[in-house]
Amino acid sequence: MTDANTDPEGTAHDAPGEVGLVVPQDFHCREPFTFDNGQTLPGFILRYETYGELNEARDNVIVIAHALSGDHHCAGIHAPGDRKPGWWNNLIGPGKAVDTRRFFVFCANVLGGCVGSSGPSSLNPDTGRPYGLSFPFVTIRDMVRAQKILLDHLGVQALHAVIGGSMGGMQVLQWGIDYPKFTRRMIAMATTARESAQAIAFNEVGRQAIMQDPAWNRGDYPRDGGPRVGLAIARMMAHITYLSDASMDRKFGRRTVAKDDPRRSRRLLEETPVGPSDEQLANLNREATEEADKPDAFDVKFEVESYLRHQGESFINRFDANSYLYITRALDHFDLAATAGGSLEAALAPVEAETLVVGFTSDWLFTPEQNRAVALALLRSGKRASYAELDTDLGHDSFLLESPELYGLVRGFLER
Amino acid sequence: MSAPTRHASRPALVAAPLPLPAPKRTVDMQIIADWVESGTRVLDLGCGRGSLLDFLVQTKGVQAIGVDLEFNRIAASVHKGLSVYQGDMKQFMSAFPEKYFDRVICSRTVQELQDPSGVILEALRVGRAVTVGFVNHAFWKNRTAALFRGRKLRNEVYTTEWFESRPTNPVSIADFETFCAASGIAITRRVFLRGNWRQPCRFAPNWFAGYALYDLTK
Repeated sequence: MTDANTDPEGTAHDAPGEVGLVVPQDFHCREPFTFDNGQTLPGFILRYETYGELNEARDNVIVIAHALSGDHHCAGIHAPGDRKPGWWNNLIGPGKAVDTRRFFVFCANVLGGCVGSSGPSSLNPDTGRPYGLSFPFVTIRDMVRAQKILLDHLGVQALHAVIGGSMGGMQVLQWGIDYPKFTRRMIAMATTARESAQAIAFNEVGRQAIMQDPAWNRGDYPRDGGPRVGLAIARMMAHITYLSDASMDRKFGRRTVAKDDPRRSRRLLEETPVGPSDEQLANLNREATEEADKPDAFDVKFEVESYLRHQGESFINRFDANSYLYITRALDHFDLAATAGGSLEAALAPVEAETLVVGFTSDWLFTPEQNRAVALALLRSGKRASYAELDTDLGHDSFLLESPELYGLVRGFLER
Repeated sequence: MSAPTRHASRPALVAAPLPLPAPKRTVDMQIIADWVESGTRVLDLGCGRGSLLDFLVQTKGVQAIGVDLEFNRIAASVHKGLSVYQGDMKQFMSAFPEKYFDRVICSRTVQELQDPSGVILEALRVGRAVTVGFVNHAFWKNRTAALFRGRKLRNEVYTTEWFESRPTNPVSIADFETFCAASGIAITRRVFLRGNWRQPCRFAPNWFAGYALYDLTK
């Protein structure tokens, strides 16, 4: 267990508190693991975090499933000075929508990942070198099955809920199909039952950026090296698909980077998830006007370029290029209907959980239509399912943003 | 729906406490519940905050699905434990095979629809029976109010001034029966309630009924 701050006395008032300091744990599975495609590993590691306390019945568990570039650190902080808490800290904590005073919240870095769990950057014990492309091909099902082994190890009897967005939403659906008795509720957000051609196309551009970088070397590169340029470009491109025209225009407009300190405005943008204040904007716009005549045409000029470059740069310091290839491939192969003779209803037939699907109007990666299709198929096969849609202009990443409406919906669903 | 706010210090509750059900609602809800058979599959078009479906689940153990356009009503229904779908009701129904539902309910919804005949006919396709309930716009007090006041109706049902109202498409008993006859829809049951929406109205309903309930098949 972690030493997460789970003091229920100190947080027994209405105002939501924080998860506080958390320590990630490593689970070593010593049993052989056979992947969907038949390849095996002698064992695997999953890095995970938990918040809150497991009840006596061991069934107050909420699994949080992360997306492509996410990891197990979804709430709390790792050190007192941490500038950024876990990626879903706004949703998870004492008194928050996913209330750690009631629930034992669990999140693991997926199999095939690169933040502590076994993946292509893990050392192959036979060679003493990273697996690279010799790591088995991973599917969403494999990711879920590995987490189930870990939860069995913790003695978990049932899941109160599984919650995830994007690739996390795919895992949610897989949980409900593969472990119907174990999974009591599912919340799938900004997701799909079938990766679309457009989404595969974006993934392919990212993979090509990585694989065309000479430093990729067919996946064989040292742990501290690799296709940094390719991975950064892949991230820059993918990041655009998580936003929207409206949100980018609001956040960056045509503003150019400030002359005196190009990092200043960038920091400002990072620290304000929804965008800077009017006064800050006025300053930035004034600086932008002063900058407009600068001649060096292909250097970073616009805020949006600076932002994307920063996204690319920070990504290469925390993500492995081969993991990016593996996980995007897992997304591409996700097609629930294809596993059941082309019928999504048949694929979802085993589900016993109550399901809540949440779509976002401005999500053009996993569109509202694709989210609706999941809920409709569940309803057609006689399951208990709901579809709610939030009108935001923040694109695919809407599911991560602060929204009291979303919190209320999630809280209400978890309470029923 | 506004964009998420920047500094949400407190999570919002799903639903503001519901106002007590208007006494006017209880009789029509009870009649609909009498028509619904236990354990059947029921679709409520324009389910609002899910009060009727919740009542039908509690009293009749139905498998309930609701459809509504508005997020807050959907969230309130989700909190009640209902299965609900946020979106267009015709698109929703088009995803279901013929006679998938034992009953489709359109309670106080028809006057809000863009395409009432399209919705009712589609409901008759996916439902074995369709229950429609509406306020009779031709009720005598409405007629005299229009005659003598010369203003937009304002009473318990029509609560807003013209300048703060949405466009609606009020319907009378005579309108509805004409539509059913012209569309080949069979009326299997009808109940008219007086102006208090409690006692049955047995005489000249298009004048003296405040509320009408129909059970339809095709």
